[in-house]
Amino acid sequence: MAFDPLLLRPLFPILAQSAYDHPLTYLDNAATTQKPLPVLDAIQEYYLSFNANVHRGAHFLSDRATNRFEQARDTVAKFINAPEQSHVIWTKGTTEAINVVAYGLEHILEKGDEILITSLEHHANLVPWQQLAFRTGARLRIVPLTSNGEWEPEFSHYFTDRTRIFAATQVSNAIGASTPLRTMINLAKQQGAFTLVDGAQAVAHYPVDVQALDCDFYVFSGHKMYGPTGIGVLYGKNHALEILMPYQTGGEMVRHVSYQATEFNVLPYRLEAGTPHIEGVIGLAAACDFLNAQDRLALLAWEQSLANHVYTRLLKAGGIEIYSPEKNTTLVSLSVPNIHILDLNAYLDSQGIAVRAGSHCAHPLMAQLGVAGTLRASFACYNTIEEADRFCDVLLDAIDLLNDE
Amino acid sequence: MTDSLGQQKPVNIKAQLQACRSKEETFKTLVTLSKTLPRLSTEEKTEQNKIKGCESAVWLIMEENDGRRHFKADSDAKLMRGVLVAILSLVEGKTQTDIQQMDLKAELAELNLSSYLTSSRTNGVLAILDKIKSGSEHRDNQHSPKQ
Ligand SMILES: Cc1ncc(COP(=O)(O)O)c(C=O)c1O
Repeated sequence: MAFDPLLLRPLFPILAQSAYDHPLTYLDNAATTQKPLPVLDAIQEYYLSFNANVHRGAHFLSDRATNRFEQARDTVAKFINAPEQSHVIWTKGTTEAINVVAYGLEHILEKGDEILITSLEHHANLVPWQQLAFRTGARLRIVPLTSNGEWEPEFSHYFTDRTRIFAATQVSNAIGASTPLRTMINLAKQQGAFTLVDGAQAVAHYPVDVQALDCDFYVFSGHKMYGPTGIGVLYGKNHALEILMPYQTGGEMVRHVSYQATEFNVLPYRLEAGTPHIEGVIGLAAACDFLNAQDRLALLAWEQSLANHVYTRLLKAGGIEIYSPEKNTTLVSLSVPNIHILDLNAYLDSQGIAVRAGSHCAHPLMAQLGVAGTLRASFACYNTIEEADRFCDVLLDAIDLLNDE
Repeated sequence: MTDSLGQQKPVNIKAQLQACRSKEETFKTLVTLSKTLPRLSTEEKTEQNKIKGCESAVWLIMEENDGRRHFKADSDAKLMRGVLVAILSLVEGKTQTDIQQMDLKAELAELNLSSYLTSSRTNGVLAILDKIKSGSEHRDNQHSPKQ
């Protein structure tokens, strides 16, 4: 049975408005998704009925808050199939999670060690490793794409006996391509490297199983999967989390403190200094519940069919460079020769269509593709085929308007 | 030096932009205006003339002649060239003291261009205004093309 996004629309009242007298068409979901009512309700309920600091007071509200907070950890652990809820660490988002690992592993690196990433990385999964390399004398190495945007057929030689850390995105935010993670993680493991997967662009679309991926760390942001901003997750295997030196210290993460020394708390608290983002945690668990209640594969198939529809129409129209794959992606990333993407973006905006024009925090990838930036339309479960068609129609109008010289 | 505004009269520019009733009309008017901006030569598009903080590339050249400021500008984005035509129409040929006293943000807002002013858009219009103001403040020639 075909999936009907209109059934989900009532859960996203923000989408029912107009923008400059046009129906708002939100196709910037890779930047952040909209939040369904159950997420908003959960946050409101927290403040209306169980707001208190967690793990601290022994009183009615604090117990309720702590219970719900730790239940949320369980929900998120199940959502990514983590074996233990103590393997789920709350962070501000993907960026902070990667930084927790990059600082936490500093003590294992020696001069000449190698940190391996790929060409597809968001700056969040590049700069922390580059800076770590600067601090330790390690070398940052890149598994490159070929000039036509494919993986080199033979990339195993990038994985060497000096590779200590391998970090890769599951799905590229800039062009929507996926990484051959199974193969790469295997190669990294054969060299005894720690492996980290950036799942920021994957979690909203793909059912995630960290045990099947067999990575040491998996990181993602709540706001890209229908949850609130300011909350994210660092999942790690037990031994991998245990080896991390805490990136921040302070309250909550300690067991005993004297002026001479501090005994750190156990996982997960050891890596969570200070009062956590409680409302964010509650909201993120509600977002997991929202997704769990859907037929995930039907959602994915729908989102991919929208991207493929746009791809096919624009390819037929001609004169448009498309950087995303034809299939198995939920976004379309493009540019038009001799027309600035900001001009296209401005016209789409004037028609109420929200997309993203820019370098998508991936300067090296853009340089490799030979463009300053691309225009990206990214889809979520609530987008309709009419919206995909409107995007194509208005984009083609914009090209006509701007193409007169 | 040549008039950077081509044949366009400032009063026309103002009237055209003020007549826009929608974001789309403003877009189309800016595209039309963009065609009146003489393009800079490759030699003039130096790093020094480039404005930092713009997502599109913007170059601005300011010169002083008989106590009056003259401007040339360019961008790789068409809409930005239209915005530049509007901005330059406000300041071209004025003395630095006059420019100093102008509230450029308010004047652009009167032209229906306030959505180009919010810093969140990071399109750098504010950086352009800053450069125009500070350039006139220092009375220097450091942004001239011949240097
Ligand atoms: C692939 C990828 N990694 C990392 C990030 C950073 O996420 P956040 O800004 O939520 O920390 C993003 C967000 O755009 C992303 O798309």
